[in-house]
Amino acid sequence: MVLRRFLPALPPLLAFAGILAIWELLSLYFGLDGLPPPSVALRQVPVILTDPQSLFDIVDSLRRMAIGIVLALVFAIPVGLWMGRSRFAAAFFNPLLSVIYPVPKAALMPIIMLWLGVGDASKILVIFLGVTLPLIYHSYQGSRAVEEKLLWSAAAMGMQPPARLARIVLPAALPEILVGCRTALVLGLITMVTSEMIARQTGIGNLVFQSLEMGIYDTVYAMIVIIGALGFILDVLFERLRGWLVGWAEPAQSIIVGST
Amino acid sequence: MIRFRQKQRSFTFERGFRLERGLALAFAIAASTAGLTAASAQTIPTIRVGWTVPAEDAKYWMMKRPQEFPNLGKKYNVEWVQFQGTAQMVQAMAAGALDCSTQGVLSLAQGAASAGLQTYIVAQHVGEKAPESFSVYWAVKDDSPIKSVKDFKGKTIGLNVLGTGIWGPLAIALKKNGIDPDKDVKLVEAAFPTQEDAIRTGRLDVGVLNQPFAARAEAKGGLRKVFAISEEIPDIVHILEACSKTFVDKNPELAALYVQDLTAGMGKALANRDETLKIVTEIFKAPVAVFDPFYFKTRASSDAPLGSADFARDPGAAANYDGIQKMFKLYYDVGMLPKQLDVKDFKHAKIFAPLKP
Repeated sequence: MVLRRFLPALPPLLAFAGILAIWELLSLYFGLDGLPPPSVALRQVPVILTDPQSLFDIVDSLRRMAIGIVLALVFAIPVGLWMGRSRFAAAFFNPLLSVIYPVPKAALMPIIMLWLGVGDASKILVIFLGVTLPLIYHSYQGSRAVEEKLLWSAAAMGMQPPARLARIVLPAALPEILVGCRTALVLGLITMVTSEMIARQTGIGNLVFQSLEMGIYDTVYAMIVIIGALGFILDVLFERLRGWLVGWAEPAQSIIVGST
Repeated sequence: MIRFRQKQRSFTFERGFRLERGLALAFAIAASTAGLTAASAQTIPTIRVGWTVPAEDAKYWMMKRPQEFPNLGKKYNVEWVQFQGTAQMVQAMAAGALDCSTQGVLSLAQGAASAGLQTYIVAQHVGEKAPESFSVYWAVKDDSPIKSVKDFKGKTIGLNVLGTGIWGPLAIALKKNGIDPDKDVKLVEAAFPTQEDAIRTGRLDVGVLNQPFAARAEAKGGLRKVFAISEEIPDIVHILEACSKTFVDKNPELAALYVQDLTAGMGKALANRDETLKIVTEIFKAPVAVFDPFYFKTRASSDAPLGSADFARDPGAAANYDGIQKMFKLYYDVGMLPKQLDVKDFKHAKIFAPLKP
């Protein structure tokens, strides 16, 4: 009974232990300063997490990421929903998005820096650009898949098009939009770090790149672990939020083995 | 036999209220985070300054011990922005995003020659002073057949950044040894911290070592110096402080206050090594053991390892304008600058270190 309860946690634990074992072996094999063993690097994790300045850096990066993502949500969701319900909008935006999508957003940082300076605004714009496209795409797909009957019923009851978009299309497309949000969260984390590579005052990038420039590799790897853990925690929290918001849309699947 | 059972659920209007509550929560978070970014009103002028690592001790003192500077925070403020390197700071200065920043001689000269960047050199952070100071050098493994620059032909040579200022002296040394720097060697870009590992693993035949990596490599052993840039260009200037002409000409008093504090900062740094080491470890988040073996030290003799010493610093942060002029000429001669530059164009009549109130 106890074993069955803990069984689901076993595969991820094994995967994590496997990565640590491979990392340790590679470190022993190569013996490079640039690849410290996990036993050394992980010792830096509590050091970083108990240092007030480092915690401020981490929180400040997350603040910029939150602003970038919220701005992207405000912009991308209406655009995506509109594209899903309007052929004109889809025809207008689709080619633009296809062109913009493959451009590495962090590589735009030097140019953005020229427009917006070296402060928060340029970093937030890079995060915004990084997360906007998956949000638009998933909002677009969600909006396209809304049942016409719902919209007809609402129209028949006198609901105007903007109200239909806000009160029917948006909630019905929400499960798909939230899939885009989940992708955006990960991309936000990536662009958050890369946006701090060229110019920075505070932030996670401050900790990572400063340590990298000074060859303090145990801190670099500890920060990579912390960023990975942040991604995991944000994903778990987001999945909880998603379940709360759109639990009605989850296909509750159960697999019955051996039955006919 | 496996059978999937799926509970069909669907959207209803009532469920929309949960969405609205979620959206309200999201906007509340957004509003509060956006509120945090609002800058507080400032009544004194702010200078936007770019910096990088390492070896900018005067600035590190101003950043971490502002109370030691009577004007800082009272007559003016500094907005410190850390950059990946000097080339990015040239871009930021050219765009008007910075008032002053750390610069290498080559990056500043290229900015002036190619992008029309107009600056005054107001102070110097570090340079070299043969034979007592550290000099950036290229090293090989102890058992390497490479004994001198003439053995570099056909080899893979490490550089921290392609086109970097330290390439100039090596390019000249290669030419003197009958090696074409453009055709006879393979240049590989690798950041300073990775050079030591790259030499030891054979990915580079010759790698370039800077402090603190030279001190670390020498402590470990197994590497041998082949060529130091002081052998070709003695007393090279590594990093200096430059301010945009627009900023200085519009705000001469403000610029003077900043240069006065840079002068004072260098004096404080050199006068109190222990406190400087504390500050440096705060800035770099590195243990003091990384810096202690060489910081502010000079070589005991001309035979002592280069890594036992630090770069040279002027006590008043004075820029070596003659040295900078020689470097302009060197870079022009090896084709790294499109035109000759005159250092007089980079010197303000009054505002340069050492500057005292």
